[in-house]
Amino acid sequence: MFARLKALPLAFVLLISGVYVLLPIGSAAEFSLRQPATQDHGFKNYLWIFEQPEFAHYVGVSFALAAVASIILLALLVPTVVWLNLKGQKLRPFVDFITLMPLVIPVVALAIGAQNSLPEFAQTNQFILSFLYAVLAMPYAYRTLDTGLKAIPLKTISEAARGLGANWTVTIFRVISPVIRGTVLSALFMSLALSFGEFTITSLLHWDTFTTWVTVISQQNVMGAIALSVFSLAAIFIFLLLVGLLVKPATSQVTKEEE
Amino acid sequence: MSQTEIQSRKGASIRGTLSGQSLGLILGILPLVSFMGVFFFWPLWSVLWNSFQDNLGAFTLSNFQLALAEPYKTAFSNSISLGLISAITSAIPGAAIAYVIESRGGQRLRQFVASISGVLSTTGGVPLAFMFIAAYGAEGSATAVLRAFGIDIYSGNFTLYSLAGVIFVYSYFMVPTMVIVFSPAVHGIRREWHEAATNLGATNAQFWRRIGFPLLFPSFISSLLLLFAAAFSAYATARAMTSGSVALVPLMIGNLVDGNVINDQMNLGKALAMGMVFVSLVAMIPYLLIQRRASRWQ
Repeated sequence: MFARLKALPLAFVLLISGVYVLLPIGSAAEFSLRQPATQDHGFKNYLWIFEQPEFAHYVGVSFALAAVASIILLALLVPTVVWLNLKGQKLRPFVDFITLMPLVIPVVALAIGAQNSLPEFAQTNQFILSFLYAVLAMPYAYRTLDTGLKAIPLKTISEAARGLGANWTVTIFRVISPVIRGTVLSALFMSLALSFGEFTITSLLHWDTFTTWVTVISQQNVMGAIALSVFSLAAIFIFLLLVGLLVKPATSQVTKEEE
Repeated sequence: MSQTEIQSRKGASIRGTLSGQSLGLILGILPLVSFMGVFFFWPLWSVLWNSFQDNLGAFTLSNFQLALAEPYKTAFSNSISLGLISAITSAIPGAAIAYVIESRGGQRLRQFVASISGVLSTTGGVPLAFMFIAAYGAEGSATAVLRAFGIDIYSGNFTLYSLAGVIFVYSYFMVPTMVIVFSPAVHGIRREWHEAATNLGATNAQFWRRIGFPLLFPSFISSLLLLFAAAFSAYATARAMTSGSVALVPLMIGNLVDGNVINDQMNLGKALAMGMVFVSLVAMIPYLLIQRRASRWQ
């Protein structure tokens, strides 16, 4: 009886949060299936999306930009975070601070700055967006990598490998890489998802990607734009949830996350 | 072997203060630091620099005078209210959820809530705005469901395309953000402390008044500041929702950049952006200080 009473607030919170999270998703999904012309439900709005020639084009553009952004980000962050965990403890506060700044500074300010300061050749190439997306995803990717890697006794295992006669190349590729793979994958998927959905910088620098295209078509076909929004949100939800549930950190030592 | 290793490490830590060793350390973070320098700090520096220049490049404060006059004054006050109201209305339920889940949920449930919150906190932008318009619009079925339970959101003069509507939409990613940033603090209130306090004769209320609340309050405030900064500077959702009907600073900057609004002073947008940076820094510096303090006991 007493145990039941204790579980009551938990059940209440779960119920309310569940409704709060799922009601708009479900309701928007239902809305996107409405067919005003025939007053019934069907996949007409979704079919309309696939009939647009721009759809595949902009999904491709956004994906390419997001992929390049994620590669840049990981190529920069993975060695740096491994280095910080192995040797550079003293520099950690400084790097923590730098990587947090994109969260502090409004994106609009960075967009104006990029437009104002970057040279002509960089501004006329759409892949400049990848570099800026990498900056914006930095706080999240850095935190993910750092939390994941802190849980692994990197120093101990690399010293053990070195003690057993492995050189640095072998240590990095055969010892460190396998244990950090899960964490790196989570950071990769998070930066892919964030970059894919970026709107502010893209729109202020006057480039067209998937997200800006959605606002453009909303002016021609609201139902289509809603279907597209539901589709992209649901795709990203499922993608990130699967990643979150499947890719577990290498060890279960993470008893508390640091944020 | 281990003896020599320990000795050599001792040596390394002593030599660590010498410049050769420090140089090696800095080389390791140089790629990241230069990347941030080129693509983040340099652009911001250029905004700061130009915000003090007139159209001919001479020093002036007139951009800031203009940025603090109407209509931008109203926009700043709208944006700050949006940030504050949004932060408070999301922080309170978020903190309650974090507390209940952390104190009563099992390991599995806590992990599940953490991953869901992680996903929800990254939503936003245009798709989120359209999702809410579909669900909670006048014709939406979420509106109909709520009405069936006796909650009519349109009984007053609420519309989604107002400040209140934007706050409502923001809560969808701000409450989960609060759950993420506040959970470690709740987790840090160790059960043993409660037991220790009880053993020493404290009542439940005394524990909360003297130990629990003082420990959680700084983290609550710092989380609140983080939410404020997020809501204050959000652009995409607000633009899609209000399409300019509510004066907010990021939207006004966007209008200047897009050329929808022409101003004689070409650096006005930069001064407005610096105004936003200033407000964000005022909110975030206490956040960083409190986080650092709180991490000592968490």
